[in-house]
Amino acid sequence: MGLERLNKKGQMKIQQMAFMIVAVFIFFILAGIFLLRISFAGLYEDVDRLEREQAIKSLEVIADMQELNCGSSEYFCLDEDKLRIMSEGFSMEYEDFWSVASIEVRKIYNTTREDIECPDINCNYYNLYDSGQRNKETESTFVSICKRVRSGDLRYNQCEIGKLTVGRFINE
Amino acid sequence: MEDKKAQFDFVWLFAIIAGAAILTLAIYGATKFSDTTRFETDSKIAKEIVIITDSMQAGVAEGKTSSISLNQRTRINNICFEENFGRNSISVSTRSGIGEEWNRNGVPISVRNKYIFSEKIIEGKKFIVFSKPFEFPYEVSDLTVIIPKEKYYCFSGFEGILLENIQSLNLPNAQIENCTIELATKICYGPGIDCDIRVNGDHISGSVIKSEENIKYAGNLLYAAIFSDKEIYDCNVKRILYRTGKVAEELSIKVDLMNARGCSSNMKSDLLIWQHLTTNATSDELKTLSNQAKNLESKNNGELCGVWDWKD
Repeated sequence: MGLERLNKKGQMKIQQMAFMIVAVFIFFILAGIFLLRISFAGLYEDVDRLEREQAIKSLEVIADMQELNCGSSEYFCLDEDKLRIMSEGFSMEYEDFWSVASIEVRKIYNTTREDIECPDINCNYYNLYDSGQRNKETESTFVSICKRVRSGDLRYNQCEIGKLTVGRFINE
Repeated sequence: MEDKKAQFDFVWLFAIIAGAAILTLAIYGATKFSDTTRFETDSKIAKEIVIITDSMQAGVAEGKTSSISLNQRTRINNICFEENFGRNSISVSTRSGIGEEWNRNGVPISVRNKYIFSEKIIEGKKFIVFSKPFEFPYEVSDLTVIIPKEKYYCFSGFEGILLENIQSLNLPNAQIENCTIELATKICYGPGIDCDIRVNGDHISGSVIKSEENIKYAGNLLYAAIFSDKEIYDCNVKRILYRTGKVAEELSIKVDLMNARGCSSNMKSDLLIWQHLTTNATSDELKTLSNQAKNLESKNNGELCGVWDWKD
């Protein structure tokens, strides 16, 4: 009788311990998940911040690229001929080259608010690159859009005000 | 009495085994978590380095120099892929006080629109980054060079434009003539005594001889050739020459647009030949190509409507 009581008491203790171990495990798992959540929330914020920084910096990089700029001595000046060439399919060869989700250029002075894609008549919008990503945010800067023209013996740069817009990747 | 003893032993045994398992799991989890955090940090550093190189864009300036300071000793790994526009793959690993001396590399960041020259692995806490434009004959892109600050350089025998260019780099870890640092890498212009690197040529083209290898350069590629591994240099030169060809193709189409509005140019055929010459060229052809580039530049300067770099 006494032996049976002792066995039962022993079993109870083992059960108690097993429950305790399970509880401790669950506690550690929950604490781990909580820590990971905090850590990854910070990571997503950092990725977002870095992507934003890169998009802002890339505005200058893209405006200064020989494939788009007016010349090495001009700052934030885009060559309208190059914009046209790029928007008419040449940029397809640069598919993986850009570090942004999209690149667009709009003439913003003395034009209608509606986008008329170049090379249509009275166009005001160049779509240079679109990765197809829907979820994106944009950063933009003002630029000069110039082309070299000749009138008799006179050569000059004919410029308009424009806006260069780049799209940055957002985690979907 | 014996049963009670057996019960007592079992409880202790059970507690020890379970405790050991929990401790092992906790230590394993903490190590893994710390590894993941380091991996995350190293990936962030790599991305930040790439972003810093964006702001190093020389733009209208002749060049820019800056430095990167990190909290702990770090290795920057630079791998170059040369197909078409190619890319530099930059990854970072930091030094660890626990376990393996160096953590595994963080996520590599691909850089396609820049040309990062360095040794394959550079190590240190502080790094110098400088950029110089590459004109061939139009400005193609900036060349970005990364060197560890703790590595010293000594330039000897340089004169004229080359000397001015080296001085304009403002490298804090470089001395020009009268070198006092014993372990500095000695870079000599022409013949010299105890030189690690020799430069033969001028600011237009020439060759850099280091580790018994002859590296051809044109223009500002001289600095890339001095501070970079030959493998990285050759790969980046191939990439930048491919891009030179692509720009030539674009400019040749631009000639048609200019002609259509009366701002005519005779550069089309020259640009198409230039495209053909550069697209698949290698660093060994740089000297020949730089002569062609010079001709192309003087022809563009003589045009009524220049195809690039408009001058009033």
